[in-house]
Amino acid sequence: MITATALCKSYQRLPVVRDVSLRCEPGTITGFLGANGAGKSTTLKMIVGLVRPDSGTAMIADRPFAELPNPTRVVGTLLDASAMHPGRSGRSTLATAARLADVQPRRVDELLDLVGLTDAADKRVGTYSLGMRQRLGIAQALVGEPATLILDEPANGLDPEGIAWMRTLLRNFADHGGTVLLSSHLLHEVQATADHLVVISGGAVVASGRMAELLASSTIIVRSPEPAALAAAFRAAHIDFVAGPGDELRVDVAGGRVTTEVLAGVARDHQVLLSELRPSETNGLEQLFFTLTATTTTSPQETAA
Amino acid sequence: MTTSLSARPTGIDAASASTAPIPFSRLVRVEWIKATDTRAARWLLALVALSTAGMMLVPVLDESSFDQTHASYLRVAALGLTVLLPVVTILMFTGEWSQRSVMTTFTQEPRRLRVVNAKLAVSLLLGTGGAAFGALVSAAGVALAEASGRTPAGDMSVGVVASYLLYVLLNVFAAVALGALLHNSAAAIAASFALPAGFALIGKASSLVSEWIDMSTTWNWMLQNDWGGHLPQISVSVAFWVGVPLAAGMFRTVRRDVG
Repeated sequence: MITATALCKSYQRLPVVRDVSLRCEPGTITGFLGANGAGKSTTLKMIVGLVRPDSGTAMIADRPFAELPNPTRVVGTLLDASAMHPGRSGRSTLATAARLADVQPRRVDELLDLVGLTDAADKRVGTYSLGMRQRLGIAQALVGEPATLILDEPANGLDPEGIAWMRTLLRNFADHGGTVLLSSHLLHEVQATADHLVVISGGAVVASGRMAELLASSTIIVRSPEPAALAAAFRAAHIDFVAGPGDELRVDVAGGRVTTEVLAGVARDHQVLLSELRPSETNGLEQLFFTLTATTTTSPQETAA
Repeated sequence: MTTSLSARPTGIDAASASTAPIPFSRLVRVEWIKATDTRAARWLLALVALSTAGMMLVPVLDESSFDQTHASYLRVAALGLTVLLPVVTILMFTGEWSQRSVMTTFTQEPRRLRVVNAKLAVSLLLGTGGAAFGALVSAAGVALAEASGRTPAGDMSVGVVASYLLYVLLNVFAAVALGALLHNSAAAIAASFALPAGFALIGKASSLVSEWIDMSTTWNWMLQNDWGGHLPQISVSVAFWVGVPLAAGMFRTVRRDVG
């Protein structure tokens, strides 16, 4: 369980995180989506106590991170896979983490096997590719057998096979009751991995909720051989719409108040023939992402001032 | 990439063990490993040993310009040790910031002061170990001198040994203080050589600086076991080189955002 409440952070008076709140429940994977520079990493670092918030609080398992007696037993973190000592081997890096977490040394070998680094275990981390460091970072996050994972851009540097592997691993982790918070600037990555979503733009949360709800269509497309009569019927029923291409009318679902059934009923009551009635196809997260972030990413300076 | 992860529970059931805090001894042990188990660290330690041993050849070979006494041989060891041993301990405090692995360290133990204290403990161990090694080297030097027919005067005392140990440790901790304050390997190492030299230079113009701050004066009294009437000056210069910068470094390390 991760909760962040009203986190704020400015650097040189420039706000980078503004009033960010989020909540990650056990058994779920929360995708923290935003463009580069949107404030994702700073938020995650405030949650794990690496960056001091100007205001706001963050709790993991109902305690501030800094009050966890042995944090790696509670929450595994991977914040920057390239931030590892290049002169130490993968095995020694993990062994150090295992020693500090006070877990059995044999867990090191298990984890090396789990992330597919057994063959490279005794090579220096400096010789690893970014993908291998990412795998080592995930192993390090898992070393203390935590119930919570916080991962900043974990898919970075992984090949498609590696990304699929990580998705399976995180899904498995969540299905066993774990809580996962992962950030990404890659829309399809989050779409394929997460079940909850928090979208951040310009340092502020612009959307959050269950993936399925956020992806649900917000528009119904209606077409009739008698478009004028249909428009009159909608006006009479106080249903908002705009004219689309051709004769189609695009009706806003008004937060679920308006459904295809409602519109069919209106058409029937006004004796208007319908030739088409369907929710508009969404472009998935991509459309949502661009819609939500378009206004705020254009002028961060302006909004910051 | 052929790993078995499908049916493997990734381990959600460890909450019971999470309540025990990390014992300080374990932090010290891990910091010791981190400071000594890399190839670079081992080379540097080998260089410390080599330069100390090399320095010892000077009084052995050039008997005319060095007092041929046990204590003066020990002082040569101190001078040899304090060239490079402080660099080893600086790197312990700065390396993690340069490599940014400090992110891992402070998420493993968010009570940063405990991490700093563990590193200080390791510095103490390295300094004491180095001093013990230096004492062995100086004994070997004395033995060499005796083998060549000289008889260096046996003027050792508890005071001589204690002053020697203190001198080595204070040199280590002055460097550590710069590392803890600057968080940057190159800057801290450069400062640890340049600042004492700079203040020695200023000391040539100002007797106030030379008597109260310049460590080549004040700490040399200490190394010579010449405490009489110098205790206030030595104390002030220890506060200047170790106390104040170390306190400031601890404060900065605890407060600094890790970005």
